Amino acid sequence: METSGSAKKGARRLAIALAGLAVAVGLAACGSGIEGPVEATGAKVELEKKATGNLVISNWPLYIDKKTVPNFEKATGVTVEYHEDINSNEEFFNKMQPLLSAGESGGRSIFVLADYMVAKMIKLGYLQELDKTAMPEVAANMSKALRHPPFDPERNYSVPWQSGMTGLIVNKELAPEVHSICDLFNPKYKGKVDFLNEVRETVPLVMKCMGIDTEKATEADWMKAIAKIKAAAVGGQISRFTGNDYAQDLTSGNAVAVMGWSGDAVQLQIDNPNLEWRMPTQGCMLWSEDMIIPVGAPNPTAAEAFMNYVYKPEVQANITEYVNYVTPVEGVKEVLLKREPKLAANHLIFPSASFTKNCSPTPTLEGKEEKNVIRAFDEVLNG
Amino acid sequence: MATALRRRSLAYLLLAPGTLWLVIFFVIPLYFMAKLSLDTEIPGTLHYHFTWAWSNYKEALQLYDTQFVRSFIYAGIATLLCLIIAYPLAYVIAFKAGRWRSLMLFAVVAPFFTTYLVRTLAWKTILSNESPITEIFHAIGLAPSGHILYTGFAVIAGITYNFLPFMVLPLYASLERIDVRVLEASKDLYASASSTFWKVTLPLSLPGVVAGTLLTFIPAVGDYVNAEFLGGANNRMIGNVIQSLYLTQSNYSAASALSFVLMAVIMIVVFIYIRFAGSEALMGQEAV
Amino acid sequence: MSTTATTAVSERDITPGRGSLSAETGPARAWRWLREHAVNIAAVLVVIYLLIPIAVIFIFSFNNPAGRYNFTWVGFTLSHWSHPFANTELTEAMLTSIRLALLATVVSTIVGTMMAIALVRHKFVGRRIANFLIVIPMATPEVVMGASLLSFFLVLGTPALGFTTLLIAHVMFCISFVVVVVRSRLIGFDRSLEEAAKDLGAGPFTTFRLITFPLILPGIFGAAMLAFALSIDDFVISNFNSGTTVTFPLYIFGAAQRGIPVEVYVVAMILFFVTVAAMGFATWQQRRAERMTSIRPEQEEADIVLPGIA
Repeated sequence: METSGSAKKGARRLAIALAGLAVAVGLAACGSGIEGPVEATGAKVELEKKATGNLVISNWPLYIDKKTVPNFEKATGVTVEYHEDINSNEEFFNKMQPLLSAGESGGRSIFVLADYMVAKMIKLGYLQELDKTAMPEVAANMSKALRHPPFDPERNYSVPWQSGMTGLIVNKELAPEVHSICDLFNPKYKGKVDFLNEVRETVPLVMKCMGIDTEKATEADWMKAIAKIKAAAVGGQISRFTGNDYAQDLTSGNAVAVMGWSGDAVQLQIDNPNLEWRMPTQGCMLWSEDMIIPVGAPNPTAAEAFMNYVYKPEVQANITEYVNYVTPVEGVKEVLLKREPKLAANHLIFPSASFTKNCSPTPTLEGKEEKNVIRAFDEVLNG
Repeated sequence: MATALRRRSLAYLLLAPGTLWLVIFFVIPLYFMAKLSLDTEIPGTLHYHFTWAWSNYKEALQLYDTQFVRSFIYAGIATLLCLIIAYPLAYVIAFKAGRWRSLMLFAVVAPFFTTYLVRTLAWKTILSNESPITEIFHAIGLAPSGHILYTGFAVIAGITYNFLPFMVLPLYASLERIDVRVLEASKDLYASASSTFWKVTLPLSLPGVVAGTLLTFIPAVGDYVNAEFLGGANNRMIGNVIQSLYLTQSNYSAASALSFVLMAVIMIVVFIYIRFAGSEALMGQEAV
Repeated sequence: MSTTATTAVSERDITPGRGSLSAETGPARAWRWLREHAVNIAAVLVVIYLLIPIAVIFIFSFNNPAGRYNFTWVGFTLSHWSHPFANTELTEAMLTSIRLALLATVVSTIVGTMMAIALVRHKFVGRRIANFLIVIPMATPEVVMGASLLSFFLVLGTPALGFTTLLIAHVMFCISFVVVVVRSRLIGFDRSLEEAAKDLGAGPFTTFRLITFPLILPGIFGAAMLAFALSIDDFVISNFNSGTTVTFPLYIFGAAQRGIPVEVYVVAMILFFVTVAAMGFATWQQRRAERMTSIRPEQEEADIVLPGIA
């Protein structure tokens, strides 16, 4: 009798303790995290006289040469922790977002993210306004075309890291006739074609093939293009949707023509001379990725010193040589003409105005339209 | 009485840390996920508020019903293949391997010691268009299009490989427990080898079959690594969807809704299965 | 066990005359010989199948790729084996993984062993619920566990996802497996020794320290190895709860986008050899322990290898 009584008592005590715990957790949940009000915290950086200490940078993999960071450390005395931990704009943003909304940056002082993500972060108040007086090289050397983007008209929050073109990468031998985005839908290449998993590049490219002006496209236009992509995916025309990993499909023969980025093509040719980047007959998509200083970032002084440093044409030339994307810094071509004339003549790295005349900037989507388009496209990605 | 009481409070004391850990970090999170699955996003912000939005479930299922069904089909086929592949191996290890037994058991668990992702990437190499395996399959007509990678076949192959040890080990354990004298008795009574197998060995190994099937099927349904690396545009599974909804789209309510439905369906399947096949395999023996 | 088996057979064998003498003629015997060997052949084929990817990893760890991609064989080199830790990002990820796995193993093994002892040795109200609580995580797909834990952290507003949240997650999914392994060891345990100790005047703690603990130690060791293996290999749950911390599997997933460096294959092989060595050592230790106590002379290797699965 007594034993079962006390056993019950024990169980009850446990139950009460657990219930109390649940209540405590529930209370803690109120008004914090993703369920609750929004606080935006945007402020201007406060600089010290001289850059010292430690600088943590998050960038994409293989997006810088091996010399720039050590050279910067030598030149300034700042120690740099350089992380290649960005593999997707959205994923990185989602991982950082809880920190950013609490006014922290996870110890990082520079992120490199795509224009549209930067636009979103400016709106959310997740970025620090830059002190441009500390970056004379940026002011002097930034490419004219990049100085006044619609999302940050005076470049108060962002400094371009690299730019590039999205077009076609084809295997000349196996897919000689692919010259336009429409050719990717040619049944001859069924199952041998990769599309990019980036909604803001893939869908506009397909709109170009459909004769839709990407800069005036309505939500209905986007949906029409997405429907076309979906039909091709379901029908087996598109092998898969990729990021940079199309490179391995091209080198191992799993794909013969893909949507791809200009810088990768230059690299891929080293592996396989049959691979080449082609400007689609309807034009390409132009994009850039920007350096930004998030809220709560420690040592903004060192961060701006780094931004300023990579805008020296001599320094930027090293980066260009390694990554092969379109540089946002003027004067690099002159440096490379002396050092490596072949690269200086490459129109994928220094595209002329006539080469990119049909190209369009990656469109910014907003509000409900953005949400609907992204949902529809993600449904295709998750086919 | 006093010692009994002390023993009992000792039991709760021993139980407390683990129970608390599981309650706080497993049960309560499920509650939060349930709550999140009924939330609505406040437009233009990244924040949610609770609204009993059952429509989240409806929308998510309408959008992703294909992937849902596909996951169960892929996992079902892979589980069946695992059973067919694993049984002879487990049988041989249990009854015929002799001094090779340890070595064969080692071969079964060896894949566990190479990282899951690296293993799967190795399959990517093995199944790629230029590999001899693909050519062999093409030659014997199993890969008519000439490629295996980025097809449902590749995803199922990957899942089958990655979860095979989960099938072999319980099968082996239950076969090994069979008293060989029983099989000999069957033979002595003039049962043929096949009827000994079908009437004695197989029924006695059923607990292993049940345990193995569950241990393979459950992780296989929720898997997304194989579909990510080996699948193409039409082979994504529900795990991929949940992952991308959570981590890239931050559409938390839809993702939570899908996770919940997935868990519920698995539970139902498992309970039905256990109803038919007996529960000791999953629940383990009770203390004596 | 054997009694139930015998009844099953005897029931069946009452139905008469299935196996007849005609089965023993020449061709039939040949057929049976072939079939018996067919099982062996099938088993060998499956073993080969299991080992193929490991061989591929091993071979490609010596590859000398022309560009960034280690997917097609180019040529043999020892350079990656001579500098396996040249890639600092990879090395750091590996160290994070090892640290995480060690901590998760220690915590989950202690906590899980305590639970197992309570469940087997004590009768108390709520034992069914406790058993259920242990089984449910094992029946939950990883993606759901990862997603729900992330929901929890997000709703709580935990800003710093990282090592701590990873540790919490890893301990969470290891506990159940530890409990199951240690529990199976405790169940198949000869209690007369403990009673003998008690009869000789040992107190409960002395009995535990001198008798119970040494006897279940191999089980605890096996559980710890399983926990370590689960933790170091986990990708799905980690991917949800890692924040910006990078473990070895997470590094591989990120690198797979751009092309896997050969060092990944080298490090994976090193990990493989180290685990194999550890397992060999554990088996040897256990055999020794068995021989010394010889409580259960028929202890099989399977219980050591991955007892939780069985």
